[in-house]
Amino acid sequence: MDYVNDLVAVLPELVLTGLVLTIITIDLFMPRRAKWMLTPITVIGLLIAGCALVVVWGMNRDVYAGFYVVDDLSVFIKGATIVTGILSTLFAPGYLSVRRIPLGEFNTILVAALIGMFVLASSSDLITLFLGLELMTMPAYMLTGLHKTDRYSNEGGLKYFLLGSFASAIVLFGISWTFGLTGTTNIGEIAASVSGQMSGGLLVAMAFLTVGATFKIAAVPFHYWTPDAYQGAPTPIAGFLSVGPKIGAFALLIRVFAEAFGPLRADWLGVFLVLTVLTMTVGNVVALIQVNVKRMLAYSSIAHTGYIMAGLAAFANADDQRVAQQGIQSVLFYLFGYALMNIAAFAVVAMLQRDTRRFGGLNSFAGLASRAPGRAAAMGILLLSLTGIPPTVGFFAKLYVLLASVEAGLGWLAVIIVLNAALAAFYYLRVIVYMYMRDAEDDPAPLERSASGSIALVVAVVAVVVFGIFPGAILGLIEVSAASLF
Amino acid sequence: MDGLPILSLIVFTPVVGVLALIFVPGGAHRLIRWIALGAALVSLALSLVLLGYSTNGAEFQFREDLPWISAFGMRYTLGVDGISAVLVLLTTLLSAVAIFYSWIPIRMRVKEYYAAMLLLMTGMLGVFVALDLFLFYVFWEISLFPMYMIIGIWGGPRRVYATVKFVIYTLVGSLLMLVAILAVAIAHASAGNDFTFSYEVLRGYAYADSLQALAFIAFFLAFAVKVPMWPLHTWLPDAHVEAPTAGSIILAGVMLKLGGYGFLRFSLPLLPDAAVSFAPIIIGLALIAIIYGALVAMVQPDMKKLVAYSSVSHMGFVMLGAFVLNEQGLQGAVFQMISHGITTGALFLLVGVVYEQTHDRQIAHMGGLNARMPRFAAIFGLFTFASIGLPGLSGFVGEFLVILGAFRHNGWVAAIAMLVVIASAVYMLWMFQRVFFTVPSDWMRLWWPSLRDLDRAEWIALAPLIVLVVALGVYPGPVLEMIAAPVDRIIDAVNGAGMTGLGPLW
Repeated sequence: MDYVNDLVAVLPELVLTGLVLTIITIDLFMPRRAKWMLTPITVIGLLIAGCALVVVWGMNRDVYAGFYVVDDLSVFIKGATIVTGILSTLFAPGYLSVRRIPLGEFNTILVAALIGMFVLASSSDLITLFLGLELMTMPAYMLTGLHKTDRYSNEGGLKYFLLGSFASAIVLFGISWTFGLTGTTNIGEIAASVSGQMSGGLLVAMAFLTVGATFKIAAVPFHYWTPDAYQGAPTPIAGFLSVGPKIGAFALLIRVFAEAFGPLRADWLGVFLVLTVLTMTVGNVVALIQVNVKRMLAYSSIAHTGYIMAGLAAFANADDQRVAQQGIQSVLFYLFGYALMNIAAFAVVAMLQRDTRRFGGLNSFAGLASRAPGRAAAMGILLLSLTGIPPTVGFFAKLYVLLASVEAGLGWLAVIIVLNAALAAFYYLRVIVYMYMRDAEDDPAPLERSASGSIALVVAVVAVVVFGIFPGAILGLIEVSAASLF
Repeated sequence: MDGLPILSLIVFTPVVGVLALIFVPGGAHRLIRWIALGAALVSLALSLVLLGYSTNGAEFQFREDLPWISAFGMRYTLGVDGISAVLVLLTTLLSAVAIFYSWIPIRMRVKEYYAAMLLLMTGMLGVFVALDLFLFYVFWEISLFPMYMIIGIWGGPRRVYATVKFVIYTLVGSLLMLVAILAVAIAHASAGNDFTFSYEVLRGYAYADSLQALAFIAFFLAFAVKVPMWPLHTWLPDAHVEAPTAGSIILAGVMLKLGGYGFLRFSLPLLPDAAVSFAPIIIGLALIAIIYGALVAMVQPDMKKLVAYSSVSHMGFVMLGAFVLNEQGLQGAVFQMISHGITTGALFLLVGVVYEQTHDRQIAHMGGLNARMPRFAAIFGLFTFASIGLPGLSGFVGEFLVILGAFRHNGWVAAIAMLVVIASAVYMLWMFQRVFFTVPSDWMRLWWPSLRDLDRAEWIALAPLIVLVVALGVYPGPVLEMIAAPVDRIIDAVNGAGMTGLGPLW
């Protein structure tokens, strides 16, 4: 009977695996002009997986002898990744078809990466965790280099692969130290055995895990791969990469640092605070001088990583459980809001790259408001959300992180966050200046107007505004899911 | 809350206008203008209900209270006391005037322009009626971006520089204020109370001195940038010079008041100890602003810039009145805000009239306009005198009360402020003389044949302002009555307050 229950618990993963196989099979036999069907098929598959998530919500059980856990935290993270998956699937076709990048491969690899994130979110054992990490990042390398005839894409993919596997090895090394010192790879047992047992060996283990994990979330000073990988990757894919693997990597951080090393949080707090401040500040300062919007968004995604890490720092500095939970909740809300706005922002950049020689420079945004008022308005709202202006989801996400920080006694961190947000306003608003306050170039970039992309853009922008005004619905879910950690 | 949610209707009628605009084709300029003006006029008409504010009734009237984000105790609470009521009326009136006056000057991207104006109106009105600190912050930020667009798209040649400067200044201040709001709410909650952002609940709580000091500084930065106080004023002349006329009317007429209102509504009652302790510094800064604004205004070659710097000086009076912390001073501060809104709004409109005809605002390029535009000169003269503070016009009441309050506080402060009133006569009258009475410049001779006096539309836009500037000057009683009770409450809140010493940071 347990066996059946376990199968039900991993139903979403099974649906995704089935989806991967379905796409591969259909892709083989589908005539070329019917390939567009792959997009709706993938979206429907992802929606079914989303329904499966609803089924396992509230289940809260260990699966497969403690190697896997389906708690509400993991289900929420999976839900956020499903949203990124659906948006990316819808945004990609317009961009990919002009460049003759095969849609079938893209959808297959994308869904495979989602499975990796699912495993990562649900892992209750370091072995499973590593498995999930690799299952997530391998497809990510492939996605980066998907545009085979473009040398930037190749370069980005290769860089990402080399540095990424290096970081994975470091994570693995940290895992083996942990295993050596605690005699177990089970996250719950590690937490029990390290409690109050800080030692030099554990410090080494945590150092390796910190380096590896912060590489994956692209925190400064382990961020150097990010701009090249994002710039080289096909633009809608860069949007996915800036969000999806980040959600996965934060799931890893929560599992390893909040759960396994949770009892030692006073010991890792200091390092995280330094990394947090460095990450947001360096990300913003460098984003300030970018003239390519794609690259600017890449650096700004580093800054956002910093804001999210502040939530984790608030968790670590909290005196009581309620405040600690508030920190985790702020991380979850930020990831959700960030997913909506960043994928869509990258998608607008992609829509301006219908002409394959365009690289997403600021100039291509000049006068967009008069050429494509709808898209300009959408991008404007997304940029305001990224800046953190109400009433958008980005504002509320930032507010939540600020609230958690102040509540955890990190008022100075909150001040640094808002100063950074003001700095970020400078470069986000510059794009609005180009869109609304400059005239178009002599030969403006042609616009791609795929139906699926337009639908996804409308959905994302409406969600950004609605969840900005009424975040209550999501907050309820987040509260339940963060509670499963404590 | 019973009957119609009148405040929500006032605040969100402009948003309804924006939603209607979305469905209108961009080329239908006439229809767009009528919709925008209609929305503004409906909001104005609804706001007249606030005249029924009963001066001896409850503190906040027309209240509305709904749960919003219950996880953090954020509520949708609206309500007005006398101060907010008069500022709401000022906002709806000046917005309607500005929208009406935009008919001719704005010919480019008309739909977006009116949408921005209406959104701006909603943001500003929301700030004046919000009684939940979080809601207040949301409206505060909403009012920022439409102005950014208005200056940036429809402004003068250096508009992008001006607008980015405006936004960055304001944003830094307001984000720090957000942290302060959170810190205040959390401090209140961590003492075992419910987590709430309600203004009425939070203001009664005695916060620790160190928190008060830091929160006060954060609030100060947010509000002082908007007022603007010296030395945070440098965005103002740039923004004004580049803004379109209607943008200047709103900017000077209402947006600056957001800052003054913030001090009166939040800084003083919420953080009374810090407010009292910091008052001498702020009085000092206010005096500098009064003197500096007047001196710099004297040497301005550009009419709009001159009026902009005079705003710095006049808003200095508002700050002075607010922080001498006595009845006359505070009443004067509120009255000065209303009067400055009307007077400066009208002056910017009048400068706009010249600019539309000659495409120039340089004082040196004017001269002799009285001969061609006598009615225009008369009205300009009226508002010049109102700005100087001539008895019988609205400017006098506010300045007189502020100086009276300052005198009760400290004779020297009052003496300095008094001297500057003379200086303001110098720069305003000198400008008036150079524009209207000297020999026309060569430049002006080029335009001479095509100059015309005020037309009907301009008269309609100016009429309510003319009536008010005289009415408030002759008979200020009703307004003073409306603001008397709220002012007394502020004084009660700060009475006997003061910090014993600054603790360590956090």
